[in-house]
Amino acid sequence: MAEIELRNVRKQWGAVVGVNDVNLTITDEEFLVLLGPSGCGKTTTMRMIAGLEDPSAGDVVIDGEVVNEVDARDRDVAMVFQSYALYPNMTIYENIRFPLRMRDVPKARHAELVQRAAEMVELGDYLHRKPGALSGGQRQRAALARAIVRQPHVFLMDEPLSNLDAKLRTAMRVQLKHLQRQLKITTVYVTHDQVEAMTLADRIVIMDGGEIQQIGTPDEIYTDPANTFVAGFIGSPPMNLIGGRLEGGSFTAPGIRVDGLGENAGARNAILGVRPEDCHVVGAPAHFNAKIFAIEPMGDQTVVSLSTDGHLVEVRAARDYRAPLDSMAHISFDLDRLYLFDETSGERLR
Amino acid sequence: MTQTAFKAGGAAVVAASPPAGRRVRRSAFQRKLFPYLLVAPAVCYLLMITLYPGVYAIYQSFFFVRFNEWIPAGFDNYVELFQHDEFWGALWNTFVIGGIALTLECVIALALAYYAYRDPLIRGWRIVFLLPMLFMPSAVAFIWKLAFADGRVISDLLMRVGLITENIDFLGVVWNARLTLIVADVWQWTPFLFIIFVAALQAQDKEIEEAARLDGASWSAIFWNISLPLMKPVIAVAVILRGIDITTMFANVFIMTQGTPGGTTETISFFIYRMGFRTFNFGYASAASAVMLILTLIIAQLLLKRFFRSGRA
Repeated sequence: MAEIELRNVRKQWGAVVGVNDVNLTITDEEFLVLLGPSGCGKTTTMRMIAGLEDPSAGDVVIDGEVVNEVDARDRDVAMVFQSYALYPNMTIYENIRFPLRMRDVPKARHAELVQRAAEMVELGDYLHRKPGALSGGQRQRAALARAIVRQPHVFLMDEPLSNLDAKLRTAMRVQLKHLQRQLKITTVYVTHDQVEAMTLADRIVIMDGGEIQQIGTPDEIYTDPANTFVAGFIGSPPMNLIGGRLEGGSFTAPGIRVDGLGENAGARNAILGVRPEDCHVVGAPAHFNAKIFAIEPMGDQTVVSLSTDGHLVEVRAARDYRAPLDSMAHISFDLDRLYLFDETSGERLR
Repeated sequence: MTQTAFKAGGAAVVAASPPAGRRVRRSAFQRKLFPYLLVAPAVCYLLMITLYPGVYAIYQSFFFVRFNEWIPAGFDNYVELFQHDEFWGALWNTFVIGGIALTLECVIALALAYYAYRDPLIRGWRIVFLLPMLFMPSAVAFIWKLAFADGRVISDLLMRVGLITENIDFLGVVWNARLTLIVADVWQWTPFLFIIFVAALQAQDKEIEEAARLDGASWSAIFWNISLPLMKPVIAVAVILRGIDITTMFANVFIMTQGTPGGTTETISFFIYRMGFRTFNFGYASAASAVMLILTLIIAQLLLKRFFRSGRA
């Protein structure tokens, strides 16, 4: 029902650039997640789609129409705020009904629509209460119900789960994903939580410093990062980034030697990226040999930190792996899952 | 910052304690007493200028007072007061003039606040709105007396634009005289409510406003459905403050109308003044003051209770 396009969109306040030249197409019914650290411009990007913020340059296009001059209230966009932004003076019923009243939906249908929206988010029993009398999770669902009640063109969510406790967050995540699939509404979702991004998104847009770093499906982002920022941002624990020297098809760094890498890249300083789960502890000297700095048992796995040349490399080991501190560990890498990045630009070397 | 403040505080404590070696141990009672001693002078001063005259007036209201001669009267002053038409008339005048003025002030201030609060420049020129409040009440009264009666400025202006053909007698007609008092009060005190309402509107949650925009609400719909209901407690406090103030309206009456025509602009304050300082019936005036005090307290209490219960989320 709605396709959103951002063309060279830019937002700046005086000399401060919030969003720099963003180009992005969000296809119909897609669940798109804007992911990045705080201050990366993801919320500003979303607010420009909503019409709460005017772009300094570029066009926001919804369904082929440039909407830069269209007021927020006429864009048919619904938004769930981090603070939920429920109207404290109204009951939950009145809150959910508010968009219907404002958009001149015939009165006779209000009760039915509100009831249906409330049941979708399992809030049917709380309609007569005021927001102040609800828990965080219930308020969150009330905000959702208010957004879905009028079947908007576009759904915007600004860190809707970040005020919930961890357990509730996981539960609501599943609900959200299910709801979006059911309603088939184009959704833009802002978060700084990579787990939320990975689990919810059809595509993820990773932003940093007001610029898009990479756009791709969760799989692409994870297995094919475009630069060191993306590589280091996604994954828990994140990808290890090790600085060293690339020459004649072999990468060397203190304690590390890997052959058969980047033969076309020539001789240069480079960064080797390797995910903790692509490392394997072996008995005999291998690609990487270093002293054990710490061992963290997680239950389903053990995270081993190795100290090399002043910084730490994290490695995932079997859950029963134990070894004394400061003893040597030998690590072999999955050779087809190593990534090389340029040392200065951080861009991937292919 | 905090560090420095802490150090400074520490130094003060050290300086206040006696020199090391002969440190005095204070009992728990003495230590508790100390803060009270610190505020005692201010409290004494306040008691002297507010509580003492108040209690004195209530005491006095049970006597017939002729200068130095105090004759015990029991409740006679009160009985007489409740049978006195002029007292009830003054009460009614205060209610009518004050009520209309207060309503107008609220409506105008709310309307101005609604148009002004989203203006980023408002912080800069807010002070302009405050100017009428900064004038002395008697000066304001004289200005409006000149405009309405002595200088006939208003009549003159209206004649020039052709709305009327002869001078309006502003002080000789009941509602005209009341109107002059209302206009003067509205002119001087609307800014007070305006400032409070603008502050309340600017303090409201921006995300709620944005959510309402995205829900399709116009600015006026946001105001009526969300801002105004949420402002109820603020409005209640402002109205109570202003309401208490308006029941004691005196300067304007004294300077502009003196209660004329026929006592129809005589407010309760002016009535009390007249009883006390024109007929020198001090006990009687004190009784009227006591009744007003009780009435004001009851009404304010009722309003507060009502608004704060419904304002709770």
